Amino acid sequence: MKINSLFVAVFVMLAGTVTLSAQDAPAAKPSDATPWLEGVTIGEHPTDISPVLPMKISLENGEAVPASLSEDVPLTVVAQTAIFDDAPPATYNGMEIPNATWRRNPAISWFFIDWEKNRNYPASSTVEMAVNQMVITPLQPTGKGAITCHAGRKMRYDSAEAGKSKGTFANSSVAADVQVLDITPPVCGLEIATEDGRSATFWVAENPPNKYPLPKMADVYLSGSLANTADPAEIITVAGLELGPNMVVTPEQAAITVAADAVLKIKANGEDNYKLDTAKLKFGICAGAGGEPTPISEVNATEVKLAGLKLPENPHFYVDASDVAGNRQVLYVPLKIKK
Amino acid sequence: MRTINRFWLLAAFCALVTVCPVTAQDTGTATADETKKEEVKIPESTDMTLGVKDSPVTLPENFRGKEAEEGDLQWLEDVGVLMQENSNLYNVDAAAIAEAAKFSSEPNITWEVKKEDNSGNLETESTDNTNKATNPCNITDPGYYQVHNGGARQVSTAGGAEEDTDAVGQPSDETNKDDEGSAEGETKTVTAQQRIGIEVHDCTSPDVWVAFQEGAGTVDMAASEAELKETMAGKIVETKGRPFSVKTQDYETASYLFIDEGQDEERNRIPWEKTARLSIAGTLFNERGAPKFESGVLTAKIDQADYRNHVNVVGGEEKNLKGVYVRRNVPFIFAAMSTDNGNKRATTGLVTAAIETADGKEIDKDGASYMFRVPNYPRSQYPDEPDYFFTTNATDKDGNVTTVRMPLYVVETSAAFEGGKNN
Repeated sequence: MKINSLFVAVFVMLAGTVTLSAQDAPAAKPSDATPWLEGVTIGEHPTDISPVLPMKISLENGEAVPASLSEDVPLTVVAQTAIFDDAPPATYNGMEIPNATWRRNPAISWFFIDWEKNRNYPASSTVEMAVNQMVITPLQPTGKGAITCHAGRKMRYDSAEAGKSKGTFANSSVAADVQVLDITPPVCGLEIATEDGRSATFWVAENPPNKYPLPKMADVYLSGSLANTADPAEIITVAGLELGPNMVVTPEQAAITVAADAVLKIKANGEDNYKLDTAKLKFGICAGAGGEPTPISEVNATEVKLAGLKLPENPHFYVDASDVAGNRQVLYVPLKIKK
Repeated sequence: MRTINRFWLLAAFCALVTVCPVTAQDTGTATADETKKEEVKIPESTDMTLGVKDSPVTLPENFRGKEAEEGDLQWLEDVGVLMQENSNLYNVDAAAIAEAAKFSSEPNITWEVKKEDNSGNLETESTDNTNKATNPCNITDPGYYQVHNGGARQVSTAGGAEEDTDAVGQPSDETNKDDEGSAEGETKTVTAQQRIGIEVHDCTSPDVWVAFQEGAGTVDMAASEAELKETMAGKIVETKGRPFSVKTQDYETASYLFIDEGQDEERNRIPWEKTARLSIAGTLFNERGAPKFESGVLTAKIDQADYRNHVNVVGGEEKNLKGVYVRRNVPFIFAAMSTDNGNKRATTGLVTAAIETADGKEIDKDGASYMFRVPNYPRSQYPDEPDYFFTTNATDKDGNVTTVRMPLYVVETSAAFEGGKNN
């Protein structure tokens, strides 16, 4: 009896402790290690029933979400969860939920988390689709990402107090970890200046952005007195080039015009939508345009004395850039010698 | 040499004897670890709490007749509330998520507000990725809302190493596993979420437009009234209650009285500091018939118990709004409409409007329009003629009210109105 009594007492103490923990909902203790909890005084666990229901997300055909996605390529995903069932669960974690009924429609939110930046992007679709579906189009490459779906639904159930009921929420969420592959070449350009203070800049912008299917397209912009003597502030736009390894601006479209004895200061402006492979960045002056560049000046020289070069008939500035995924951009802009 | 060889042999044997148990023990430990790792199952999601940390007003659950047991919070529009949430995902270590698990990222925290539309669907109003577990929330339009917090964090089992993510361009054939357990050394995203239902109550009086239009000659006043109402309905929705113009020339065919929540900085004030802007435009709001556009701010009066507001416009000799001046023997019509922030001013609402005597007796139309044959203005010259008042009352579905009561003067056509207009 004594042993039994002791056992019961211990059990009651334990049970009491558990109940107390749940009810008291110990306040969070923010620290330097958890700055996101600053000001939070609420406990980690709901004091009333709030079921967390399992969820699965998959492709439309039921297949698992691939671990690798491509940027700009839409993906239709589907969530399966008891949130969409006719009635809430009757039990949760061994507790009965008497006479549980849904009170409102389900609320669903889809997100894409870029863990490398710890940023979360909401997904939304203008296309009419089922409530548990969403089209996800990742727009930026990332090595660590996650598609997440959060669904919740208001429910009501009979409370322990006779004749009373309670409102609460059933919750369901899950993540599919993915990486997003970079399929966009870099968008690099050059800044060119001469000793007399004149200069020109040309740069590239993807247009339309996030185009799919490939190829990616881009516009090339030029400005400065070496590109436009009459109006250095005006920006010349060469539209509709295929963004890739063969971007050729023709002399009829635009050119950088310098004196035959000019000393050029050249600086590359390297940009990529993910990570530029700086070791592969090359620029300078080359012969002709298109295909593999044929440099006639020292590669990546920041100062080029034209008088020291044997200029070919059709010289161009070039910038040859690759990103870490291997996407390559080579841009050629004509170099004209002032007569 | 032989002795030395024996020594080395002995030493090697001893070393083996020493090493072998260690190796055996290591193997044993590794096996146990592997078993342990296999048993570690990182859950897909965990629970979360969500609630109010600080609010300037705490309303009972049955506020304005709402059902208490529904469990929804009762808020007033335009009152900022500090929300807070918490989850095991935000701890220093991941022990509460899974044994031997560790966090491999900071948490990602997103606050979202959804509003229930007329079909009962919950549509996103705002999304805010703050990565903070507290968040100020200010809902500026009435309705049923859900505030949602979604949390996520990367959790690794032992051995879950940081991956080299430089070469994001090499596709993988892997897919996301269906099983709930995590493989050895895997890093996965664990989620948590919670929602809370909120009834946001309307504390803003409805916007009201009143237009007066005179007829002349053989104008079909019934057709004019229909056209006037149609024009008003289109414009009041288009401008969300704001006057459609501040140019007097735009009010030559009809004179307008506008009562609305005001200009940008005047809108969405906290309920007990609500104001309204009264604008009058056209020729019928002064005795000389001079075209004008005037605008000023009124203070709304709030009921301290139920936080319903009342904007009451009273016209009179000593007021900015003296009254409306119509010409004797000239038929006129009026139309009144309202729009309310309860549905984001998307539709028009009914307004009761009337011309009545001082004792509240309503004046009827004379056919398709109103017309007074005897002047009563200036009042000193016509002391025996009755006082007339134009009144309107607009009430939104939450009981906020906008009322107007201003004198209606009938002026001697040639003596007052025409003369003033010619000036």
